[in-house]
Order: sequence, then C-alpha cells, then structure tokens
Amino acid sequence: MLTLRNLGKTYEDGTRALSGIELQVEAGEILAVVGGSGCGKSTLLRLIAGLDRPTTGQVLVDGEPVAEPHPLVGVVFQEARLFPWLSVAENVGFGLRHLPASERAARVTAELERVGLASAAGRLPRELSGGMAQRVAIARALAPRPRVLLLDEPFSALDALTRAGLQDQLARLWTGDRPTLVLVTHDIEEAAVLADRVVVLRPRPGRVDAVIDIALPRPRDRDDAAVETVKHDLRRALDRSLGAGRQGEAA
Amino acid sequence: MTSLDLDLPAASPPPRRALRLRGPLLGLVLPLLLAAGWQVAVDAGWAGGRLLPPPSRIIESLWSLAVAGELLPHVLATLARVGLGFAIGAAVGIVLGAAAGYARLFRDLVDPTLQALRAIPSLAWVPLFILWLGIFEPSKLALIAVGVVFPVYLGVSGSILAVDRKIVEVGRVFRLKGLALVRRVLLPAILPAVVLSLRSGLGLGWMFVVAAEIMGASEGLGYLLVDGQQLGKPDQILGAIVIFALLGKATDAILVLLARPTLRGQDAFGGRN
Repeated sequence: MLTLRNLGKTYEDGTRALSGIELQVEAGEILAVVGGSGCGKSTLLRLIAGLDRPTTGQVLVDGEPVAEPHPLVGVVFQEARLFPWLSVAENVGFGLRHLPASERAARVTAELERVGLASAAGRLPRELSGGMAQRVAIARALAPRPRVLLLDEPFSALDALTRAGLQDQLARLWTGDRPTLVLVTHDIEEAAVLADRVVVLRPRPGRVDAVIDIALPRPRDRDDAAVETVKHDLRRALDRSLGAGRQGEAA
Repeated sequence: MTSLDLDLPAASPPPRRALRLRGPLLGLVLPLLLAAGWQVAVDAGWAGGRLLPPPSRIIESLWSLAVAGELLPHVLATLARVGLGFAIGAAVGIVLGAAAGYARLFRDLVDPTLQALRAIPSLAWVPLFILWLGIFEPSKLALIAVGVVFPVYLGVSGSILAVDRKIVEVGRVFRLKGLALVRRVLLPAILPAVVLSLRSGLGLGWMFVVAAEIMGASEGLGYLLVDGQQLGKPDQILGAIVIFALLGKATDAILVLLARPTLRGQDAFGGRN
C-alpha cells in the first residue's frame, strides 16, 4: 500500500532530517513510528503526506509516486486544525465537496456518529474541548474514506485520560474500513496498544534503528501483561536508538 | 428579545444575551447625562451658552434647517462623497493588499513605495489634487479615497501574510490549490481582519470628507461647519458635528452588521463582563 524507497530529507540549512528510509507498509496495517525528538518523525510523515518533497528517494502510494497530497491519503495533525469559521459538520464535510449535497450530509452524519459527536454537528470549533476537536479532526480526515491515514502525534496535546479514550476509539474506528494507519508518536503505550509493527527511528539523521512486530490480538487492554511486555521492549529499543544516536554524534 | 435570539447556537453563553441590549443603552447614559446637565445649567442661568449652546438650541437649529429643506441635501452630499470615496479607496486597497499579501514579488516591488506614500500626511495632497482635478467633486473624492486606501491595503495584505500556515496545510491535504484554496481557506481566514480594516478605512473616510468640504464646498456637512463659523452660529456647527457622530456610528454599525455572518468563528477575548 505504502512504499518508502531510500527516503531522505536534507533541509536548506543543511540539517539532515532523514536518510535512507526503506519501508513497506501493507494495506490495513497499523504502523507506529517512535523515536526521540529530532529523529525526523514528523518530517517522515510530511513526506508521505506530500506536504514536503524528499531530497532523495520516493514515496509510493499503491505503486504511484507521491509528489503532492494524494487523494487516498488523509492526515491528522498534532493540533486539530479545524477551520474556525466552519461548524463541526462543515469541517467534517470539508473534503467531500465532490459529492452531491444529500450524500455529503449523510456521510457527515455517519462520521460524526462514529466519533460520538452527532449532537455537536452545529457547534463551532471554539466551543469544543481539545479531545472533541481532535475527534472532529479524525472524522474530517476519515470522511473521504482514505486508504491511508497519517497521524502526527495526534493525542499528545491531550490529558492522559482523554488520550487513552481516543486511542481506544481510533482502534475501533480502524476496524470499520481498516485503512492503513501510520502513527507517529512519542508515547510508547500508544504504540503498544495500537500498532502491528513499530519502527524505531534513530536521530541525526533520522534512520530506521529497529523494527518490532507486535503480534497481539485486538482489542488490546493497556493493562494486560503482554502489552506491558511490549512496552518494556519498546522502551529498551528506544533507549538503544538514542544511545546509538549519541554515539553517532560523537564519532 | 427572545424572538431575536432564536437563531443563536445553543452553546453561546447566556449572560451575553442580556448584555446585548444593555450594552448600547449603557452607552447612551453618559452623553445624555452631559447634555441634560448642560441644558439645566444654561436654563438656570449658571452658564451663558453662547459659544456652547445647550441641546435645545442645537436641535432647534437643526430643525429649522430641516424644515427649510436645507439639511437633507447637505447630509446626502456628504454621504455620497464618503460612500463613493470609500468604495474607490476600499476597492483599490483590497486589490493592492490582496496582490501584496499573496505574491511575494509584487510585495517586494510595490510595498516600499506604498509605505512611503502612506507616510505622507494625506492633507498634503490637497493642493496637488486641486491643481490636478479642480476644486469640485473629483478632488474631494480623491482625498477621501486616499484616506481609505492605506488602512485597507495594510489590513488586507497583513491579514493574508498572517494566515495560519497550519490551516493552509489542511487545505493542501485536501488538495486545494490556487483559486479554490483562496476561496475556501484564505478568504474566510482573513475576513475578520478585512472587516476591521474596512472599518478603520471608513473612519478615515469620514475624517477626510470634512477636510475636503472645509477646503471648499457649496454643500455638505463640512460646508455647514464653515458657514456656521463665518456667520457665528455655534449651534449650527454643533448640529453638524452631532450629525457626523450619528452618521459615522450608523455607517460603522451597518458595516459590522453586513460582516456579522463572516465573523462567527472568532474566538476573541471580548472584554470582561
């Protein structure tokens, strides 16, 4: 579904954000990308989204090279980024302009119901809590039925309780269409609860340090012993990647 | 008042509704109190009221002008000048501001010149405009338009540059480009700032219509000011000033009312209750 070939990004000021990323993500897979700060997680997502151009290599969606935002790829950012002048329903329907009005309305209602916000359809973004706003952002991204959904630390600005609730909700939403999810996060638990596979990036420049498969059935209970083990493994891998990064810097 | 509030979103805070009527009424208290006080002071003989006539005399003066059929033509003349000058200035300001905000090259090319022109006190143009355009309407309209154009230009170009990159990125994710991106993201994002710049432009338009009419006009509220000064009629001067205040406030309110639907997304501080 998603192929990254020798993907690299060097910014104009010479900063090497990413280098030689090779990755294959299957349809319906949930891939988490973790790593310390400055390891190019967000850059990676922006390249896949077509918001930035890579310096080397390419991103393929369904075998097609990505040069600009792809119709089959949706994005949820760290902030909800709702359009403040549009109501909740209008925000969710933003990417559905191509549909006839009646179908669009039905789709918006369905998406809002899926995220549990049907009653907030007429509200304005400024009247929403952070968690509600992020649910609207997820509904907006899912409304056009993308095959790939990119999430850039989508719950990091929320309190722990809301975050856990939204992680579970995302897992439930995924069971519907089963889009490919690429979830950038710094939250080990988030990766352990949601992902099939976790890519650990190593900083300066960002490279793949380790790939960890999580073969646990869903839905997963975050207090389950198996999930705890995965979290433990992930934390160790992450520590190792940071150490490797520091050594790389010293050399 | 309930019927007025029917279309409000359910979540809007209830205390604001009561305040909506109280606010404007509260604003009337101070001027009315001052006017009534002055009236009483003059009536009681505590003050002369020759140079600062009491409200009754101002109303009387306006009334006699109105009855003679003179007031309306003056008001209409001034309104027409402000309206036309504002329309020209706002149109030019919006076009220049949009181009400068959107296109880097245009901004680098034109903005320094416009900023330099803006630094010239607008009244300095008066002699030149009279030489170029004559003493009648065109020079007056030009002066008003010059007053309006700069705040609008500044507001529009600044607001485009200030549009949140993150919001624009969402537009790009939904594959909006060019005109579609402008129409669905940039335009709604800048509208509140544009309305604000139009309001300050309109305020300057009112300021410059007085200058234009004082420098030579045979009708208009500014003419009433000059006429009142030359004939020693402070009541007529104050009458014209009151009408300026009312018209200025009314036109600003109309602008706000027209813009209201575009401003609903604003999440402003709005002052403390």
